[in-house]
Amino acid sequence: MPFERKVTTAGARTVRIASPLRSYTGGAAKVGADGATLREVLADLDRRFPGIRFRMIDEQDAIRPHIRLYVETREVKSLSEPVGSRETVHIICALSGG
Amino acid sequence: MSLSAAERDRYQRHLALAEVGAAGQERLKAARVLVIGAGGLGSPAAMYLAAAGVGTLGIVDCDRVELSNLQRQLLFASADVGRPKTDAACERLQQLNPEIAIEPHALELRAANVRAVIEDYAVILDGTDRLATRYLINDACVMLGKPLVSAAIHRFEGQVMTYFPGRGACYRCLYPQALEAAVANCAEAGVLGVLPGVLGAIQATEAIKLVTGLGEPLIGRLLTYDALEMSFHEFPVERRAACAVCGERPSITTLLDEDARCAVSLERVRRLAPGALREVLAAPSVVLVDVREPHEFETGRLKDSINIPIGDLPRRLEEIPRGALPIFLCRSGRRSLAACELALRAGIEAPGHLEGGLLAWAREIDPTLPLD
Repeated sequence: MPFERKVTTAGARTVRIASPLRSYTGGAAKVGADGATLREVLADLDRRFPGIRFRMIDEQDAIRPHIRLYVETREVKSLSEPVGSRETVHIICALSGG
Repeated sequence: MSLSAAERDRYQRHLALAEVGAAGQERLKAARVLVIGAGGLGSPAAMYLAAAGVGTLGIVDCDRVELSNLQRQLLFASADVGRPKTDAACERLQQLNPEIAIEPHALELRAANVRAVIEDYAVILDGTDRLATRYLINDACVMLGKPLVSAAIHRFEGQVMTYFPGRGACYRCLYPQALEAAVANCAEAGVLGVLPGVLGAIQATEAIKLVTGLGEPLIGRLLTYDALEMSFHEFPVERRAACAVCGERPSITTLLDEDARCAVSLERVRRLAPGALREVLAAPSVVLVDVREPHEFETGRLKDSINIPIGDLPRRLEEIPRGALPIFLCRSGRRSLAACELALRAGIEAPGHLEGGLLAWAREIDPTLPLD
């Protein structure tokens, strides 16, 4: 289908991937991942797309300073943030292009 | 600043908007707006601002027009290839609206000149393509109290946010730190030509709103646009009390180029001479981290020090307890200083290192310490 949206439907939560990280998801802007907290969702995301978590989260479990994570429109500062089954996790990354 | 008959004719569609009217158009005529970067974002932004009758429009760019620019940078024509962008842009904008003044700034924005360039303008638009320049512009706008409309693009996605002094988050609140290496390069990644048209037009809209006082600017709101999904999302961005430039106790109080700032961050390293290290050893929060190789560590080490070779440090930083004051050690003080830089980048506050390394320690404190 020429206009089919690239959406992976497996998994309970939807994760919107920042443009610079879509190389990990085969170009998909929205993917699915399981988990009741952001920590679990990102762990599942990393199982599906190995290496993507490290681009967002550093060795000390801190969100990298050029990344912002939102659950719906709630800014997330802790990985223990709950993620509801119908909620979307938004990964936002600093962009430099002009 | 009253409008001439020709201007009343030119801006008739604005005058017909009760929200703008003659008063709004006169504000636009009196306004000084600076567009930094005459690229994908700056092109449409500058064209709409010129057409809208912004009385003085500054354009900053040090590049020349390239053929590959023309896919998205509508300010330029094929015949402009090879010309300085400011020359071609000023000519085109003046053709579009001879009633306004265009001020070219054919220079690379650096810490040494940013203040002089922006201080005479009321609203600043950032459409540059380097993160270091984005931080420099942000810091200058915070320090000079200038509203800043910042946009950026990548492939099919764009972002835009407005900073207004004292009323919302700045770019460093949004992204406290970003390295070019961590963020994909637009020239390599590609960009849909029309994408910056959307974001640049939004920047111009924001500037017009700020000048005329109309509507609700994107203060404290990050707007993202995905051209493939054809979707916009809006996210709240809070001002951070700990922000390095607009926070309650700013650490950035002078304008520096971002590459220099990385080096300057080493000023936060506590450099301890052997005698000073001996004084602080008893403090309970001190953790001695020896970053030499294991065989060097086995030969001779300071009591209670732990060994994390420098090459392993990035992935083993979590072994340093949170809240501890790490002091890095090595043979001569070079690896320990590099360890401090890694620690600072990882967010560890004020790491320390032994100046002169264990060689200095053996010389000044303990000559019996065996070293390789």
